Amino acid sequence: MGSHRGLFYRYQDLAPQLVPLDYTSCPDVKVPYELIGSMPELKDNPFRQRIAQVFSDDGDGHMTLDNFLDMFSVMSEMAPRDLKAYYAFKIYDFNDDGYICAWDLEQTVTKLTRGELSAEEVSLVCEKVLGEADGDHDGRLSLEDFQNMILRAPDFLSGQRVQLCLAVLGGIKAPTGGLRASEYRGRPATCFCTSPPSTSASEGTVEKPGQRRPA
Amino acid sequence: MKPARASQRYRSIRRNTGQRSLYQESLLLGKLDDSFNADETGDSNDPEQIFQNIQFQKDLIANIRCRPWTMRQKLGALRRAKEIVLKFEGRLTRTRGYQAAGAELWRKFARGACNFMVTFIPWEMRIKKIESHFGSGVASYFIFLRWLFGINIVLTIMTGAFIVIPELIAGQPFGSTDSKTIPTESFMSAQDLDTVWSLGGYLQYSVLFYGYYGRERRIGSAGYRLPLAYFLVGMAVFAYSFIILLKKMAKNSCTSLARASNENYTFCWRVFCAWDYLIGNPEAAESKTAAIVNSIREAILEEQKEKSKNPAVTVCLRVIANILVLLSLAGSIYLIYFVVDRSQKLEQSKKELTLWEKNEVSVVVSLVTMLAPSAFDLIAALEMYHPRTTLRFQLARVLVLYLGNLYSLIIALLDKVNSMSAEEAATSSNASHWTGSNAFFAASVAPEGEKWATRGPGTGLGRSGMWTPEEAGLPTPPLPLAGANKTAIYTQSLQDQCWETYVGQEMLKLSIIDMLFTVASILLIDFFRGLFVRYLSDYWCWDLESKFPEYGEFKIAENVLHLVYNQGMIWMGAFFSPCLPAFNVLKLIGLMYLRSWAVLTCNVPHQQVFRASRSNNFYLAMLLFMLFLCMLPTVFAIARYKPSLNCGPFSGQEKMYDVVSETIEEDFPAWFGSVVGYISSPVVILPATLLLFMVIYYLQSIARSLKLSNQQLRMQIQNARSEDKKKVAQMVEARIQTQDESSKRLPKDGDLGSQLSSAHSGTPQSNGAVVSWDSCSSESGRVEAAAQHTPPSPQPGPRGPSSPLPGTSKPRPGPDANRRPRGPCRSTGDRHRSRPRSPVMLTKRIEDAHSEPLFRKGYQHISPPLGGPGPSAWAPCGSRPQAPSYYIINERDSHKNPHPTFWPERHFRMDALGDPVEVYPRSTRQAVSRGPRLGGSPQLSEEDEDAPRRQLMEGSFHPHAPAGLRGAPHFYVGERSERQTPAPKRQGRVPHGSWSDGLETQLDRPGYVHKKPRSRGSQYPQHPSNLRDRPEFEPPLTESDSMSAASSSDQRDSSRERYFWVPRGKGRFPRPALQLGGRKATSRQELIADLNDLVCSNV
Repeated sequence: MGSHRGLFYRYQDLAPQLVPLDYTSCPDVKVPYELIGSMPELKDNPFRQRIAQVFSDDGDGHMTLDNFLDMFSVMSEMAPRDLKAYYAFKIYDFNDDGYICAWDLEQTVTKLTRGELSAEEVSLVCEKVLGEADGDHDGRLSLEDFQNMILRAPDFLSGQRVQLCLAVLGGIKAPTGGLRASEYRGRPATCFCTSPPSTSASEGTVEKPGQRRPA
Repeated sequence: MKPARASQRYRSIRRNTGQRSLYQESLLLGKLDDSFNADETGDSNDPEQIFQNIQFQKDLIANIRCRPWTMRQKLGALRRAKEIVLKFEGRLTRTRGYQAAGAELWRKFARGACNFMVTFIPWEMRIKKIESHFGSGVASYFIFLRWLFGINIVLTIMTGAFIVIPELIAGQPFGSTDSKTIPTESFMSAQDLDTVWSLGGYLQYSVLFYGYYGRERRIGSAGYRLPLAYFLVGMAVFAYSFIILLKKMAKNSCTSLARASNENYTFCWRVFCAWDYLIGNPEAAESKTAAIVNSIREAILEEQKEKSKNPAVTVCLRVIANILVLLSLAGSIYLIYFVVDRSQKLEQSKKELTLWEKNEVSVVVSLVTMLAPSAFDLIAALEMYHPRTTLRFQLARVLVLYLGNLYSLIIALLDKVNSMSAEEAATSSNASHWTGSNAFFAASVAPEGEKWATRGPGTGLGRSGMWTPEEAGLPTPPLPLAGANKTAIYTQSLQDQCWETYVGQEMLKLSIIDMLFTVASILLIDFFRGLFVRYLSDYWCWDLESKFPEYGEFKIAENVLHLVYNQGMIWMGAFFSPCLPAFNVLKLIGLMYLRSWAVLTCNVPHQQVFRASRSNNFYLAMLLFMLFLCMLPTVFAIARYKPSLNCGPFSGQEKMYDVVSETIEEDFPAWFGSVVGYISSPVVILPATLLLFMVIYYLQSIARSLKLSNQQLRMQIQNARSEDKKKVAQMVEARIQTQDESSKRLPKDGDLGSQLSSAHSGTPQSNGAVVSWDSCSSESGRVEAAAQHTPPSPQPGPRGPSSPLPGTSKPRPGPDANRRPRGPCRSTGDRHRSRPRSPVMLTKRIEDAHSEPLFRKGYQHISPPLGGPGPSAWAPCGSRPQAPSYYIINERDSHKNPHPTFWPERHFRMDALGDPVEVYPRSTRQAVSRGPRLGGSPQLSEEDEDAPRRQLMEGSFHPHAPAGLRGAPHFYVGERSERQTPAPKRQGRVPHGSWSDGLETQLDRPGYVHKKPRSRGSQYPQHPSNLRDRPEFEPPLTESDSMSAASSSDQRDSSRERYFWVPRGKGRFPRPALQLGGRKATSRQELIADLNDLVCSNV
């Protein structure tokens, strides 16, 4: 909360040579994916490429300022759950066909586990996932299936704790609450205030015993 | 104009639909907002409309965050919406804007304040840090601890404010009475360490314990009733704990009940919800990945585990394990009982007790408490349960152990109390005839007994009650010295014999020793072990970190139970030691810091991280159980035993609760006492209890029925959903078949489909007679496939002025006239003819196929007289009753080849809408109804709400819209044509052509269009819109109209609809135009208008 930096400056900082400070003329600038993906919020995320693709205009991961703001607003803690679910679906839908099919699932699992599961395990998991959530038995998850499933997730429902909906798209952290509707009206440089990324707030939750040495 | 209406429609949608569909709508609207918003500004002057518009725009502004639009769209929409609101709302209402701004400001302020308040939540950051490292399970322990801390603070305030502080301020000072004075014999040792350690000496005679509190009914100048307050606070402690626990549990169970669902999405959640999007640190990501892999593997194992097991061995092991657990439980209970017993005997037999002998009980209890859980842990390894089950068992066993310990302790204590009060009872019975001699005895003993001299005369009577039997048995004063000696000893012990203080002391001692043991165990088991493992690992022969000692794990179960146990002790002792909650507060603070430090420094996370949210109520349930069980002995002691005679606020009373009745009698008006007397009499209590039971039963049955209805509702949802899904699945299936067929069809000939189509190609004139609307989806698919070829196909032949379209064909009375006679005979002939012809005239057939649904209708009409090939050819189609009419349309739309890039996406859109099936018929309706509106009827039916979306969407996807609507006319028009079947030879033979061709032709013949009054046409469009509209249009509607309306609007009843269709087709066929002649004319007019509309809207 202490140091207020606009989201715009974060964007500008990504590529100072590309992004002008003066945005009154709405220049058509895109920050390449390489820079987006190396943001601290995203760099360890297995789905960073998908996230960038989903939010970018052309699906190539290069983002305009608007795309960037979109991403932050969806990922902020304040975003409604349905919206998060919708974008989560898009992120998991790797081939953009409007369904999460077995292939998408394989991609998801592989990325999630960094390829540590064997092929049989992956396919078994995909099968199970489809069996659980595929309401119409067409072998793939539609948006409806997905929402139906994801909105029931315990983390989605436990509202009291701060960890609300982190499970799905918890967010690129904007501790002051991210973007609010009222803030959309002005130019971003003046209105979008957020703190520097606080990545330390949440680190790994599980470590294998023996791996970690006490401090 | 069009977008304006669309937005108007949109308003109605917004009004009628819930939040849930907002996203789906906005999916669509995201595409349109540019257009409709632009137009919105120039909306009409109708004030109602303007008002609606403003409302809509305000909604938009409020909900803009919830829409999955891009930022640019959002900004644009917002800006426009604001402009509109500004423009129409006028300057006067701007104050509202200030209000809004004020509200906004307030919201921000509240938010800031909220954030600020968070910093006051104790240990929040600490817990967060632990949570981020160890998961929510470990954090739940600390949260629980904090919660207990809060409760204890309240308890402390209660006891402190109402008991301790009044006593300190207004009570008699230390040393003023003998219950507040340290006996002279023990005065010398009052400051010895072991006295202090055993809570004797000054501590014993302090506000810490029950015995110190004075028995005066009123203290201080204000007349504070301390005894009454003492009793009430003692009860209030329990009441408050109960209430707060139950409240918390109810809250938790509310959320958990809301969460409880039949669906089981373990794998889904493990995959989709696994990643924590907050992780921004490579190490954390690493370990999170490891955790995810573990959890997925675990789930897989769980899935497969059931089979691969040797049940006999497992059962044996479990039985053994349970026996072991029971043995250790029994052993620990016996041990405690034995120790308590021994200590009592020692106390009686020995004068001087060693330090060990004094603390034996507490130490043994703490040791058992500490060691037994580990033993259970080892035993649990035998059982090979699932970790979660293991945890449950462990929790249950440890709870039983703790309870056993506490209970054996308390029973032993009560035993002692019993013996003490028995002594008292014995003395008091003798006291009556010793009072006289007592005075004498006291006087005679006075010189020798040092103690008597120091006492005031007022104590004499109190003392007299304290004579032990032995003393009472002293017959004569000839042995004054011995008697005095004895007296001294017994007086001291009697004065000590304040059993309430004793119990309080024991509890406090137990609590202190428990604290020491906790500290010791944390240091020893966690810290030194961690140090050892950490620094000696390099020099050891095996890997200390991963082999034997390892690092300590944070054992959630034991720790939580330890908290519960600790709290149980507090509850048990709080009545006898009012400062116990205060002590517990300190203890909990220390524990919080020590534990959190230890956890962060030298623990590794539990291997199985279980979700905290689930077990939270479990902790609370245990706590409640504990509270109940701890309350029992206290209440029992209060109700059963006589309070000590010379100490405590209730001394001299028969029972502790007498203080209440006494107060009621003396300090309240008489009527209140009698009222209370009535209330507490069985006359009231029994019915009240009965009533309570009845209420409980009633509420429970209500809850049960609610649960049932909940279940049913859920099932209904499930059913509805699965029905929808089934339809979609059928659609998909049908489409697949269609694909197969259409691919087969062209090269092959002679199969049913080609036969039919060829037959139709030969008999285009049978258009209007088409009845069999229950078309095979495969057929329709083929039709559609064929239709797709049409628009681009440049063949001029079929595009002549004649169109095969049923709809178009109908209004033409001329060709229609030819139809009937030709139908039956021709079709057969064509059938046979078509076979040879079809391979050659491919394109031709394609064109023909266009009108196929209608053809089939005609075909069925025809077939009965035909017999032979007709029905047999139709049989396979008829046997697919599941494919309702609109599937055709659907498929057609979703399966168009000429727009391969559009369709998939479009299809997705439709699915996003959730009801593709529904939309198409409606879109048809809309398409149909649009024209008349253009023609001048401005009011829209709200029920048409879906239509504009669809329509606009189509527009956006297909700039050349006819393709998108192509399916629609088939549907309705076909229906209409069916109604017209009996029409006498109006509809002539209709040459083949594409739909648009048909429309063109239609346009080419203005005569028909304008022949009939327009008003009819303007009414028509509303007729199929929705059933709700029907009453208005009842007069013009024919039976089949309403049916078609029903069938088209209610897609759920597709099967029923089908039933309607078939019999109608059959039943009506033989009927000539007699019945329907009149209507036919109207319907034809409608149709004309209808088609005209289509042309208008599409072109």
